[in-house]
Amino acid sequence: MVDSNGKSRILSIQNIIIKFKLRGQVLTAIRDISLDLYKGESLAIVGESGSGKSVLVKSIMGLLDKNGFIDQGEILYKDYDLAKFSTEKDWLKIRGKEIAMVTQDPMTSLNPLKTVGKQIEECVVLHQGLKGKSAYDQTLKLLTDVGIHDVEKRYKQYPHEFSGGMRQRIVIAIAIACNPKILICDEPTTALDVTIQAQILQLLKNLQEKYGLTTIYITHDLGVVAKVADRIAVMYAGEIIEVGKTHEVFFDGKHPYTWALLSSLPQLGAKGEELYSIKGTPPNLFKEIKGDAFAPRNPFALNIDFVERPPFFKVTDTHFAKTWLLHSDAPKVEPPLSLQEFFEEGRRYAHD
Amino acid sequence: MLWYIGKRLLQSVLTLFIIITIVFSLLRLMPEEGYLGAAAEKMSPEQQEVYLTNLGLRDPLIVQLGNFYSDLLMGDLGTSVTYRTDVAVTTIISEKIIYSLLFGLGAVALSLIVGVPLGILMAHMKGRWLDRLGTGYIVFVVAVPAAVYYIFIQMYVTDILNLPMLFDEYNSASWILPLTSMALAPTASYAMWMRRYMVDELNKDYIKLARAKGVKEKTLMFKHVMRNAFIPMAQYLPATILFTITGSIYIESLYSIPGMGGLLVDVIQRQDNSVVQGLVLIFSSLGIIGLFLGDLAMAIVDPRIKLGKGGSVR
Repeated sequence: MVDSNGKSRILSIQNIIIKFKLRGQVLTAIRDISLDLYKGESLAIVGESGSGKSVLVKSIMGLLDKNGFIDQGEILYKDYDLAKFSTEKDWLKIRGKEIAMVTQDPMTSLNPLKTVGKQIEECVVLHQGLKGKSAYDQTLKLLTDVGIHDVEKRYKQYPHEFSGGMRQRIVIAIAIACNPKILICDEPTTALDVTIQAQILQLLKNLQEKYGLTTIYITHDLGVVAKVADRIAVMYAGEIIEVGKTHEVFFDGKHPYTWALLSSLPQLGAKGEELYSIKGTPPNLFKEIKGDAFAPRNPFALNIDFVERPPFFKVTDTHFAKTWLLHSDAPKVEPPLSLQEFFEEGRRYAHD
Repeated sequence: MLWYIGKRLLQSVLTLFIIITIVFSLLRLMPEEGYLGAAAEKMSPEQQEVYLTNLGLRDPLIVQLGNFYSDLLMGDLGTSVTYRTDVAVTTIISEKIIYSLLFGLGAVALSLIVGVPLGILMAHMKGRWLDRLGTGYIVFVVAVPAAVYYIFIQMYVTDILNLPMLFDEYNSASWILPLTSMALAPTASYAMWMRRYMVDELNKDYIKLARAKGVKEKTLMFKHVMRNAFIPMAQYLPATILFTITGSIYIESLYSIPGMGGLLVDVIQRQDNSVVQGLVLIFSSLGIIGLFLGDLAMAIVDPRIKLGKGGSVR
């Protein structure tokens, strides 16, 4: 799959709608998302809790909870449409082998009764077809790759003998051991303290290069995004409302929700003033959402925002946003002042 | 690991010592008729006094305790007075314990063999017919008093399967019903706990990660979930085994099994202090051994415990 602008697509999500059955009601968690993932890039999906980030990536691996289902749409990977997969046999062709995952909480993500070595080796055996001594050697190599010393001793140790940061390295080693094409990092640093966060992100970046991985980061930490992502997709209430290269979204965001998200960065707050927070609550996903989901919380909302759902408007070849403000008939609306300064500064910085 | 075992062993011995000492001292407060037996009425108070002094009961408590322990180390628990006059306590208990032991161990083995796999299958097929059937069985066994289904089994199943109604140690068919009756309740509880722990484990993060790395559901169940789910079970296992050894009063009287079931109640009623003492000693040692083995089993299956050197053992 080659895109119009010459880059090859590795994964293509098209018009996907994901619903959950909950106590007799139906909740729409993902409302018509299309997203392409290009080979070798790292894409960050950002959004607040409940915006559907995790659901979206879980659907790529067939790990949706039992009451969740893909109502419509396609997830194209290689020759497969993952949206049509239903049996375990189907998914075993994808899980680990093609797409692997780094989970959120390293403290609970490892089996407490198996040595870390065995847990990594399980993947090596499963996906690299190695056995015995060669599997063991490969496991030691992986441990070294994720920055663990004294690997032979560490191989025989149990998860409780590792610190949180070390355990996250093990979780990463497990993901890499599968030899995947795509690596999904589901809030890989949320459970870690700040100094360790930076190390883990650097590690992920290095591994991405070394193994030629395409990575998806899910996070609500914009700091993480700035460090690792080539592109950003901003999610709100189950849809992607803005997508573009990192600097485009960061320093030339177009959607009012993106503005609001950026404004809530503590760095942008003035000293002595209260930090910015987005007023109101996200919409109820049990109900059908009319127009722009963000409209009720949006101080810049136009009348049409309450009636009709905005399509993607093109900003540049790589930058799109779903807001009526970009329509040619829309009144000219500028982002909040503090943000304008941030945009200016960012653009200048990007030029240098 | 050895350090841990040694420490726990020492603790166990200490606990046992304390229990025996307390029980021994308390029994000194019991009416003294128990030591006189049937002869009490024929003796004058002076004769009784002489008799009791000869038995060593007028010595200071600490001396009595010392004598008791030195006898104990020789394997002598004294003789029965009223229950079976002048027969050694050890003889009385060892004759009976063998039946309770066989039935107890048999019942636990049977309930483990059936209960644990049942629980695993129920967790695996959560919400499907097998799970419902198993839940129905568990609810039945827990809700209906054991006495009711014990009697029904003895009355009707003996007819249907043409099995003997009373126990006869030389007729192996007569072992079947008491064993199965005894196993019904523990089977239900093993199945219930196993299912519950399995379901708990299945919702944990490490299972999600294992699933995401492409492990098959079956492998997941047997290689990852089962051992984790078994840890809490391992702890209680030895204790339940020993619990059944003390005998089931009800089953033993229904099928006339000459086991230990009613022995303790019997000897307390007859005020046969030396037998009471011996039984308490055996029951409490069994209990303590059970706890010790439980901890040991936990330490074997759970690597997190081996590190508990300093004392922060959970």
